[in-house]
Amino acid sequence: MAPGVGQDEEPHLLKDLVTCDRPPISATERRFSRLLLFFEDIVKVPLFRCQHCGECILSSTAYVCSQNCPKKMRNGPCGGTGDDGSCEVYPDRKCVWYKIYYRSRLLNRMSLLYKINRIHNHNLDHTSSWLNVFKKRIDAPILFVRNDKQKVKDLESR
Amino acid sequence: MTLREKIDSNQFVVCGEIGPPQSCDGDVIRAKSKYFKGFVDAVNITDNQTAIARLSSIASARILLDEGVEPIMQMTCRDRNRLAIQSDLLGAAALGIRNVLCLTGDHQKFGDNPEAKGVFDLDSVQLIATVSSMNRGFLLSGHEMKKAPAFLIGAAANPFAVPFEMRLIRLHKKIEAGAHFIQTQPVFDLELFARWMERVVEMGLHDKTAILAGVLPTKSVKALLWMKEEVPGVKINEKYIERMKLARDPEEEGVKMAVEIIQALKTIKGIRGIHLMPALWESITPTIVREAGLSTKN
Repeated sequence: MAPGVGQDEEPHLLKDLVTCDRPPISATERRFSRLLLFFEDIVKVPLFRCQHCGECILSSTAYVCSQNCPKKMRNGPCGGTGDDGSCEVYPDRKCVWYKIYYRSRLLNRMSLLYKINRIHNHNLDHTSSWLNVFKKRIDAPILFVRNDKQKVKDLESR
Repeated sequence: MTLREKIDSNQFVVCGEIGPPQSCDGDVIRAKSKYFKGFVDAVNITDNQTAIARLSSIASARILLDEGVEPIMQMTCRDRNRLAIQSDLLGAAALGIRNVLCLTGDHQKFGDNPEAKGVFDLDSVQLIATVSSMNRGFLLSGHEMKKAPAFLIGAAANPFAVPFEMRLIRLHKKIEAGAHFIQTQPVFDLELFARWMERVVEMGLHDKTAILAGVLPTKSVKALLWMKEEVPGVKINEKYIERMKLARDPEEEGVKMAVEIIQALKTIKGIRGIHLMPALWESITPTIVREAGLSTKN
């Protein structure tokens, strides 16, 4: 493990920012990953327009894929969202983060929007997120959020 | 007094902004620096703004240092991956640049090279966290540096774009990632801005970071309308457009408007400074600073 990674003093140290201390992906695994990705795609492409980043954060973005953003923003919208919620780059589309915000409110998952999502590991592009979760390369999805309003209050007063 | 000292000691800060030229003529920056020297605390140097290739922000920042003006180097994620960002930051630190403003960057579609590959390896929140980590002595690989930079980290906020509440969450994230100061988009709608600041104060964010409100002096109604129509995320109150239309001397009216906005901003709770961005009208800075009573004398 590299120095600095895994040392715990303040929040948002390196280990919360990058995944360089996680197990690498082997050639055999890549083959298995491709097979798994076939099944993952059947679910995720029609439902979420999955972009195969292999580092799925769907559960913290209220099941709207953030990687459809032209700037690949993983931590909230850029400053260019139009008044009607349109994307500045493709005005015929809605801003992905505009959708994430309203869906999070609807599903009571607002507290998840405060989390700083990691810098994307491009080694995982076009691999199966399911396998990566199983292998602890990426964080497991957060399925249930309890007391969302209280959590938001705690986060804001931190 | 440096920008860091001023922010640490809770004094009112005034920043300016210079856009580097689309050529290798460093004298353009030297000439513009005269309008800011002694009038503002620090000057932003834009990094290929609106995705148009220009003289680099690192080189321009160094030219400003030589002229005796403290630069705030802007760094965007559009043109660099994490390797280039870290190496450019280290280079900037070695050249004596102490302030960095972390931005995601305008999409390449809006510039003069729309067919370019946008990198966006990091986003602005992750960039802020990266600089924080470098300040603590660690590169993203985990490598511990023998000498760590000591950047004062800035970030941007847009109080005027929807969804309103999401903008506050994003500000919260930027502060948590380590932003020491925040520069906002230009204010042309004081009511909306005051409402945003109210929520910022409610969340206690104004204590954790220095919020500098953006002010953009304009000299024509054309410029105002262009911003309203073309620049995403800028909201302009109709009353300013009307005033500009009726003005006999638009330049004088522009100064009056900017001074009025600054004075109104100074009364809003939680504002720790002003960020002046006189795009293509740098020469007006001394007038506005003087008329608005923004003394930067220590």
